[in-house]
Amino acid sequence: MPPTIDELVADLTPVRRLAPGHAWALALALTVLAVLAVYALYGLRSDIMAGQPAGIVVLRAGALLLLGCAALTAVIASARPGVGHASHGWRWALGGALIFPLTSLVIVLADRRMPMDELTSPNGPWCLGISSISALAIGTALTLWLRRGAPVALNRAGWLVGLAAGSFGTFAYSLHCPSATIPYIGIWYTLAVGLCALAGRLIVPRFLRW
Amino acid sequence: MKADDATLARLMALAQDGDAAAYRLVLETSSSWLRSFFRRRITPDAVDDLVQETLASLHTKRASFDRNRPFLPWLAAIARYRWVDELRRSYRTATDALTGNESIGPGDDELIARISLDRLLARLPTGQIDAIRLVKIEGLSITEAAARCGQSEPLVKVNIHRGLRRLAALIESE
Repeated sequence: MPPTIDELVADLTPVRRLAPGHAWALALALTVLAVLAVYALYGLRSDIMAGQPAGIVVLRAGALLLLGCAALTAVIASARPGVGHASHGWRWALGGALIFPLTSLVIVLADRRMPMDELTSPNGPWCLGISSISALAIGTALTLWLRRGAPVALNRAGWLVGLAAGSFGTFAYSLHCPSATIPYIGIWYTLAVGLCALAGRLIVPRFLRW
Repeated sequence: MKADDATLARLMALAQDGDAAAYRLVLETSSSWLRSFFRRRITPDAVDDLVQETLASLHTKRASFDRNRPFLPWLAAIARYRWVDELRRSYRTATDALTGNESIGPGDDELIARISLDRLLARLPTGQIDAIRLVKIEGLSITEAAARCGQSEPLVKVNIHRGLRRLAALIESE
């Protein structure tokens, strides 16, 4: 039997309101930790260490951060639901980030050959591994935070947690990543972020159900 | 008390700080509002339980209320979530439908219209609306619903499944 109004009132205690700032702080702190771990274990790219990062490195890092922030904004919005309040900004950021795989496709079609060097790159599995491990930590923290909220579209929340965590995790890896070609980014980064988003969709909703 | 949104938002903010009197008013007003919200959108014998379950969810998730936003869209999102969950869980038998409208605060009509369950249902294709309405709300069997709406039995099942999945994704839409 559901509790009565009298029982709910009797159970009332002051409650700490859900603070979006906590989710931002969690995600950003864990992203910084992931970057520090990548730096300590594998080192950062030499051009970054020299303070002269290649343009493509800045571009991909910016796209990943933008996508992560947009997805995180939507995750935070989903914790405090309201009819008419759904956040859709992440779709534009995702559309922007898709410029990398789309450009890769154009390059492949123009060259009329598969990018075998990028497909068989030994860096690829490292990209997936480091990005996923970083994303796991960030995604777990976001899921725990989100459980305090009231997400009503659980599948979408799962996608978004995975997308945010995957973007931030892949950003951390990108600062080490020795490869800097468009096809490599289009293949491996898309795969890393996409797999994290898929994992979020498959795993996260069951922890959010209420 | 009428469900004036601004008043409810202020009371809910007080309730978050532990004000029991304000909270009781929020719950009693919400209870009345929810009864109207769910009426004719689920079988009458299920309304009381669904209202209580929604109030329990309001209680559990009260930290998620943003005091800078209106109250009713927040309550409606929780109510829609519980409603879709109830449609998924249960198969109700048909009973007599009730009629009538719960009074609502002046000036809230437009807001109520935007957050209503009808507005949510209207986002689905006609076939899915018919299947859900006949089987999940009116309580007909699959066979009876198929005969009534002219769909095959497998199609009724598919439309219910797809419709509920779509409803769950649309809970926050106007």
